[in-house]
Parts: sequence; structure tokens; C-alpha cells
Amino acid sequence: MKSARPLVALLAVAALAAPILADAPAIGAAAPAFELKTLDGKAFSLADAEKSNAYVVLMFIATQCPYSNAYNDRMRDMAAAYAKKGILFVGINSNKTESVEEAAAHAKQHGFTFPVLKDPGNKVADLYGASHTPEVYVVGKDGKLVYHGRIDNSEDLSKVTTHDLSAALDALLAGQPIAKAETKAFGCSIKRV
Amino acid sequence: MSSSRRAAHGSPETRAAVLAVLAALVALSCSRTVFAADATRLSGDLDAKGLAEAVAKNRGKVVVVNFWATWCVPCREEFPDLVKLERAWRDRGVAVLGVSIDFAKDVPKIEKFLAASKPDFPNYLKRSGGDDQDFIDAVDPKWGGELPFTVVYGRDGKKARVLSGKQSYADFENAVAALLQ
Repeated sequence: MKSARPLVALLAVAALAAPILADAPAIGAAAPAFELKTLDGKAFSLADAEKSNAYVVLMFIATQCPYSNAYNDRMRDMAAAYAKKGILFVGINSNKTESVEEAAAHAKQHGFTFPVLKDPGNKVADLYGASHTPEVYVVGKDGKLVYHGRIDNSEDLSKVTTHDLSAALDALLAGQPIAKAETKAFGCSIKRV
Repeated sequence: MSSSRRAAHGSPETRAAVLAVLAALVALSCSRTVFAADATRLSGDLDAKGLAEAVAKNRGKVVVVNFWATWCVPCREEFPDLVKLERAWRDRGVAVLGVSIDFAKDVPKIEKFLAASKPDFPNYLKRSGGDDQDFIDAVDPKWGGELPFTVVYGRDGKKARVLSGKQSYADFENAVAALLQ
């Protein structure tokens, strides 16, 4: 049997060393401001995006995560459909393991017309408490977070029965309260190391 | 005479068909379906209730439940440490259970991975259908759905530790050692 004392000490060290993931801002709290660069090097500011769009959808995405990739077409189509209604979709790649070049090639391959931002050091993922891909946040007109969670309830499009993100956006556009402002789905961990 | 008793006197084909229907009905009504006893293959599928039952069956042991998927690179990377952990600590009262969150169509990929990884502990497929959020919340309300994810239950069957993301072998050892004291 191993000595318990060193293990307890190790445990304490491990707990201190473990990355502390901030909780996501609560629904109704201010969406944390940030500035990042798009994959083609242009500056992007959430504050500016809020001024020129009715709502902003932030989507933490990945190039290599099959769960995120299962949503590529849905993200592209929703971004195009809701752009006409004044809603801006923005992809954010916070994975340390995926380069700007790789993310750009991925966006081109899947026909993304929405801006994709690179989040070096996963600072924005930390600000939002984002833990996996895909994971989405909707920023309301007053800069407050109005939805956080999944796009819908199945990675398999044929099995989707709850279109959570669309329902939230449609409610916002109709001036109605969002029935389910927080949801969860499976996904890959954001690669912070 | 009941229909099942009449069927029992029927042709072998009829009996086989009745048994298949009964097996399907049992599978539908159970929260856990057993596929195989060989740990290098999927042991069955389960929902949240079935998972709770599987943990409860190991009452008296520290139970490590690891949620993984073949498409999840860090899950694949940490899996060998779970295989090693179970072998090293099973005699000291540690049990490990794996739950694959793979897509239902990917069972062949799961079994290929298990055959290569050679775990001595059972691995289940999260039952398809139902709402993922219900499953995630039943496992741990603070879980966001990211993989890998590990929950460690104490000897009393109560949840004691949750480990989000890829862990090292030392992380796993520390978690079980603290609970065995």
C-alpha cells in the first residue's frame, strides 16, 4: 500500500496546478467585451459588432472536433439566414492545437461566410467560461447575455427535435422571452494546452 | 394458454422469433442492455438510470466513471491510463466503468478501439435517443458536456470528485487514493 501522506500532498499540488475554468457569465449578465483578429488579420471588437447588429451569436468552434464539424453546414446556413435579420454569427477558435492557417482552410472548405476569430491563449474562452466545441452564446441588444448552450439537440441532423438556438433567436426577433436560455450538449474539450 | 406458452410448442423458427421479440421488449424496458461479457467489446448501452445502477452494483468500491468517445483525441490519449489504473488498483477496491458518447453508427469504431486498448473494465455506449442534456445533468449538473469527463464515486456510492478534461495517471491515482483512506 502506498503511503497516504505524499499522495495527499500531491493532490493538493494538483488542485492548485489545475486550470481554473471560470463559470460562464449568467444569463442576463453583461457579455464580456473583447477584441480579437479574424483569420485574415482584421480587427474584431464585440462592442463594434453589437453596435452594427441587432444580436451577436458567438460560436466556439474547432477544425478537428467531429462534434463541432457535424454542425458546419448548420452554422453556415443559420449564419446566412439570420444575417438578413440583423443577427451576426461569429466563430471563435480557441484551440491551441489548431493554427490560424488550419482554421482558415477549414472555414474556406466549409463555405463559412461568417467571420471566424482566432483566440490566442484562449482568453475569450476563459472570459466566457466556454469549455467545449460547439458551444454558443447570444449577446442581446443591451450587451447582455441572453442565451448559452447548444445549437440543437442532436449532432445527427435527421434526429434533431429541438432547435434551441433558432428558437432563442426567433423569440428575440419576435420580442418574446426565450423559453430555454441555457442548454447543454456533448462536445470536444477546448484545447487549452 | 398464454401466447408465449403456445409459442413454446411451435416450430424452432417461431420460438426463435418469440424469443427475439421478448429480448427486444426486455431491452426496451431496461435502463441497461448487456451486449457482451468480454471487456474488450462494448458491454451494452445505458441511459442515466442504467449508469446509476452500474455504479450502485459496485457499492463498497471507489468507482471511476470515464466518459469518452473515439472521436475525442484527449479521451483516446488518457484511456491507457485508466486501463493501467484499474489493473493497479482493483485489488485495493477500485472499479472503473467507461461510457462512450460516440454516435450510434460508430459501434464498429468503438469496438476496434476497445480491442486495441484491451481494458479489463466494462465499457458502455450512451443509449442513443433522449435528450443529451438530461443525461449530462443526471451525471453532474455542473458538467457542460465536454469530453473527456470523469466522475469518481466513494465507497458509499456518492459522487466525490469530478475531473473535467484529460487527466494524467497521477491525477487518477490521487483521486482514488484520497477516497480509499
